Amino acid sequence: MNCAQFQRELPDFLEDGGNAELQSHLKTCGNCSGLVTSLQSIIHEAQFLQASEEPSPRVWNALEIQLRKEKIIREPRASHSLLPSLRERWGIAAWLVPAAAAILIAAGIMVLPNSKSNSGVTQQAALPESVAPKPAYDQSDEQLLQEVSMRAPMMRAAYEANLKDVNNYIRDAQESVNANPNDEDAQQALMDAYGQKSMIYEMALDRSLP
Amino acid sequence: MQRSTYATELTVIALIGLTSWAVAETKKEYRFEVGPKAKVSIINQFGSVSVRPSTGNYVLVNATIYSDKVEVDHAQNGSRVDVQSHLLSGATADNSRVDYEVLVPADASVDLESTTGPLHAERLHGDVVAEGANASIDVRDISGSHVHVKTMAGPITLTNIRDGHVEIDSVSGDITLNSVTGPLVRVSSTSGRIQYDGDFGYAGEYRFNSHSGNIDATIPQDASVDVKAQSVRGQVQSDLPLQPKVHTSFLVKEGSSFAGTINKAASSVWLRTFSGKIHLKKR
Repeated sequence: MNCAQFQRELPDFLEDGGNAELQSHLKTCGNCSGLVTSLQSIIHEAQFLQASEEPSPRVWNALEIQLRKEKIIREPRASHSLLPSLRERWGIAAWLVPAAAAILIAAGIMVLPNSKSNSGVTQQAALPESVAPKPAYDQSDEQLLQEVSMRAPMMRAAYEANLKDVNNYIRDAQESVNANPNDEDAQQALMDAYGQKSMIYEMALDRSLP
Repeated sequence: MQRSTYATELTVIALIGLTSWAVAETKKEYRFEVGPKAKVSIINQFGSVSVRPSTGNYVLVNATIYSDKVEVDHAQNGSRVDVQSHLLSGATADNSRVDYEVLVPADASVDLESTTGPLHAERLHGDVVAEGANASIDVRDISGSHVHVKTMAGPITLTNIRDGHVEIDSVSGDITLNSVTGPLVRVSSTSGRIQYDGDFGYAGEYRFNSHSGNIDATIPQDASVDVKAQSVRGQVQSDLPLQPKVHTSFLVKEGSSFAGTINKAASSVWLRTFSGKIHLKKR
């Protein structure tokens, strides 16, 4: 089994642990095991966040609007019939699209409790350590950079530098929100920072690279 | 004798190069008849896209294709026109450039994409969306429409955008706005510099945010604004006298934030950075 075959079976693997063949490939492949670790981390954090508080439908609607606005998700359009599908263009890297969406969703969830506190709802503002952004590249970033290296090597340095800057932005914005949990401007800055990161993913995945 | 041989060899090499270049470069023209408020999309991986208004209800696309590793796909559905550079086997950034010169009806909405750019649109009053990771983007003389621009590292210049709904996102590209006004002008950057030169119009909302990039706003003395500026770790400076506000959403701290109004405070201006400097200058 090669990496492409493994990653085609990835949804099943994440759901039920996969069969012996998948397990065997995972043990011998650093790339796929890193990918699985990264995805499981996202799934774990998402469950944790969801457990902390379920956002109102209004928030999900707002996120959906934002995702459509950011063109991370799209309405079906006949005009795109010219374009090969994302899976065709990106193959095994197509999973990064939900990762990009997860960035925005995570940002929305992290900001949400503070927004509610402004409307009079008593709210614990402190964020769990496990969702604090990391200043260095995370595994999704590394995977993205690997894909960029394969498809457009000359772009890697630019993506690497910009991801580093954006991660620093997220770190500072998060610290600002932690220090002033009721500050709407700090919350907006955090959303902006995540929006910038989402844009990098979007450009790398959906548009810019051949 | 030896010099003569060298000269001959150089000439032959130059001729071969010129011939292959001439063979490689192809010009193609595509014309589409469209109705009012057409939607035109040009997606180009490598190369420029320049859009100007046509004189009638048609879209005219002139494509210069620089190699046989790329071809131009096009489709029309009613008043929607899609044009895309289609990379073929063996295509790389070096050999798959296409340059587009496009004429569209002035009321058309355009969606332009290119990794390398440059992207240019002018004299339109339909919506303009322009995106490209490293593309330099120049949009000018647009009125009454949405202008949405995104780059990762490419510089962005907007000039003479009137009554626009303007949204700009760039991670590290410098952003320059000259005479840009409208009900909403939002600029978000991580490390790029944001420069604004204009009067902030009337009754608009202007939000410029950056992490480490500096923000410079140059305005005339008769501008009518309610301005707030805050830098978490950088410095802020205003060359204009501001009427202090009774209430602000943050604690004003000399050197790192200011808030106040000029004249009738018609437009709201919010400048914010983490480590970048903010400078409000008098024109």
